[in-house]
Amino acid sequence: MQSPQTLSSPLAERVAALDDLCSPRTGDPDVPANVIEAAVAALARGETHYTDRPGIPEFRAWVADHLRERYAVVVDPAEVTITCGSTEARFVTMTLLAEAGGAVLCPGDSSRIRGALHILGAEIIDSIREDISLLYISPDVYRETSIELLQHAEETDWWIVYDLSFAKTAPPFHPAQNERLASRVVTIDSLSAALPGWRLGWMAGSAAALRLRAGKQAITICTTAVSQWAGLEWVRTAT
Amino acid sequence: MTMNENPNIPDEVRAVAADGTQLRYALMEMAGQMDDIITLGRGDPDLPTPPHIVEAANQAMREGRTGLTPVKGLPQLRGAIADHMREYNGLPVGAENVMVTTGGQEGLFLAIQALIDPGDEILVPDPRYTSYDDAIRRAGGKMVMVSTDREDAFNLEAEAVEAAITPASKALLIVTPSNPTAGIVTEDRLRAIADVCIRHNLIVIVDEIYGRIVYEPWRHFSIGSLPGMAERTITLDAFSKAYAMTGWRCGYVAAPENVIDAMARVKQVTTGPVATVSQWAGLAALAGPQDCVSDYLKIYTKRRAVLLDGLDRMGFAYGEPRGGLFVWADSSSTGIHAAELSYLLLKEGRVLIFPGTAFGENWREYVRITLLEPIETLKEAVERMLPVLARYRA
Repeated sequence: MQSPQTLSSPLAERVAALDDLCSPRTGDPDVPANVIEAAVAALARGETHYTDRPGIPEFRAWVADHLRERYAVVVDPAEVTITCGSTEARFVTMTLLAEAGGAVLCPGDSSRIRGALHILGAEIIDSIREDISLLYISPDVYRETSIELLQHAEETDWWIVYDLSFAKTAPPFHPAQNERLASRVVTIDSLSAALPGWRLGWMAGSAAALRLRAGKQAITICTTAVSQWAGLEWVRTAT
Repeated sequence: MTMNENPNIPDEVRAVAADGTQLRYALMEMAGQMDDIITLGRGDPDLPTPPHIVEAANQAMREGRTGLTPVKGLPQLRGAIADHMREYNGLPVGAENVMVTTGGQEGLFLAIQALIDPGDEILVPDPRYTSYDDAIRRAGGKMVMVSTDREDAFNLEAEAVEAAITPASKALLIVTPSNPTAGIVTEDRLRAIADVCIRHNLIVIVDEIYGRIVYEPWRHFSIGSLPGMAERTITLDAFSKAYAMTGWRCGYVAAPENVIDAMARVKQVTTGPVATVSQWAGLAALAGPQDCVSDYLKIYTKRRAVLLDGLDRMGFAYGEPRGGLFVWADSSSTGIHAAELSYLLLKEGRVLIFPGTAFGENWREYVRITLLEPIETLKEAVERMLPVLARYRA
């Protein structure tokens, strides 16, 4: 049979400027045996069904504990959603919290949010202007720059997305330590460095947490159950 | 009395009543806080993932085959999916026409993002799986309803599709077997619908996730197998229902190669590749023995008979459920709005079912009930619902 090669109707305009596909990176890290056995045990228990849509309670509780212990940031486990890697967390936060036709302020590397914001129809900028709806920062941005922008953010209604997922080292600084900002800060992180093929990340905190949860559910319903149990074992034993 | 005026409906249900998806989750969360509930709400098979699939996943993990895959999926799995879709669905596809997705739901999201521009209209049979609304809304698409009815077992008519077409129509979304109605779109109807789509240059997005769960004497048929349709059809499927693998989040899509490339570029920024262990499990599902699928179908067939008998006793009419994991029943004989009825059955009968309004604004006299509990539990659910209905029936 002849394979269908092309669609007779045009593709959506938004796809045209998206980046070509990247090759998967090589040299995936070895996964500790206890993590594998935790995953095997989860499957043996029958953990093969949908999980709670924000993720298994144990993992969400660990994320909340981690943010409190590492950054002195208080987040209720109910405000944590486990995602399919930090990619999904970034996509959901960018497309739900930024405004189409508006601007996202990104003083550092914007490559990881470029695709999501292109799909939304928002512009990435690196200096302050009137139509900003969201500030995207990570620990890789100079701390002085971050502090200056966050001071400015106090006088705005910007959402703030703090992305820890690719930080080589994460200082104890965190924008949600500022009480005037805390309800507008979403923290993104992942286990992509340790368990890349398991696709585990999370987004935590903010007054928009339930909206973000619903946004994730509309794309993937929940995150892979066995990955969550493997990830839980990893964070409990390796961090 | 409208639902908003009805004192029997608590605020947490009323607050989300206009959003079908959120209404379903509100009821599930209420049920989760109650004891001894029979849950006939969510479409999550209670049966286990077959052991040979779990074992294949265990082996992959223990052998260290857990690294990142390409965004489109493991090449071996894409090849196996193409083989399956050629042989089972009759689709003229190769591996280049296939991509692995994070469940069937992501497949729909990616297809909409790749194809729909703001202002495009998508024809959607009514009632509908409202979880797809968000994807369409985010792309700026507009849903245009195409009615189906109980007397026709919720089959879809080509004439109704054609009548709904406007210059802005871009695509037709079909879910067959249907969630929530359990109707199927039969081969003769699909042939007529295909003619309409070709004449009006419509794309067809077809969700066949329940395609392996079709009851005798009915047969599943894939519209993408018809002449002139493969180049305009995006076929969505997943391992979730046929192999009881909802938690693995592994689905797939078959489409023209340029659509697959576009969807993959969207997927790269949406979720990235599917969890690798789930892809090995999916490969085992397709490559291994298929007895599990037919064995599960036999179980669902028996349960369906039990539940239909219960509906008869409850005085609920229904169109013949020809496929899938639900019954879609007309509860108008109770005289109670479906959202209120669902709430009363949960609160007083400790049985969770979903109101029809969770699947379309017009379905206030319908309920959706799943087959996803053992036969004895289904019988118990009927016994629990009967006295509640007797108490409140108008």
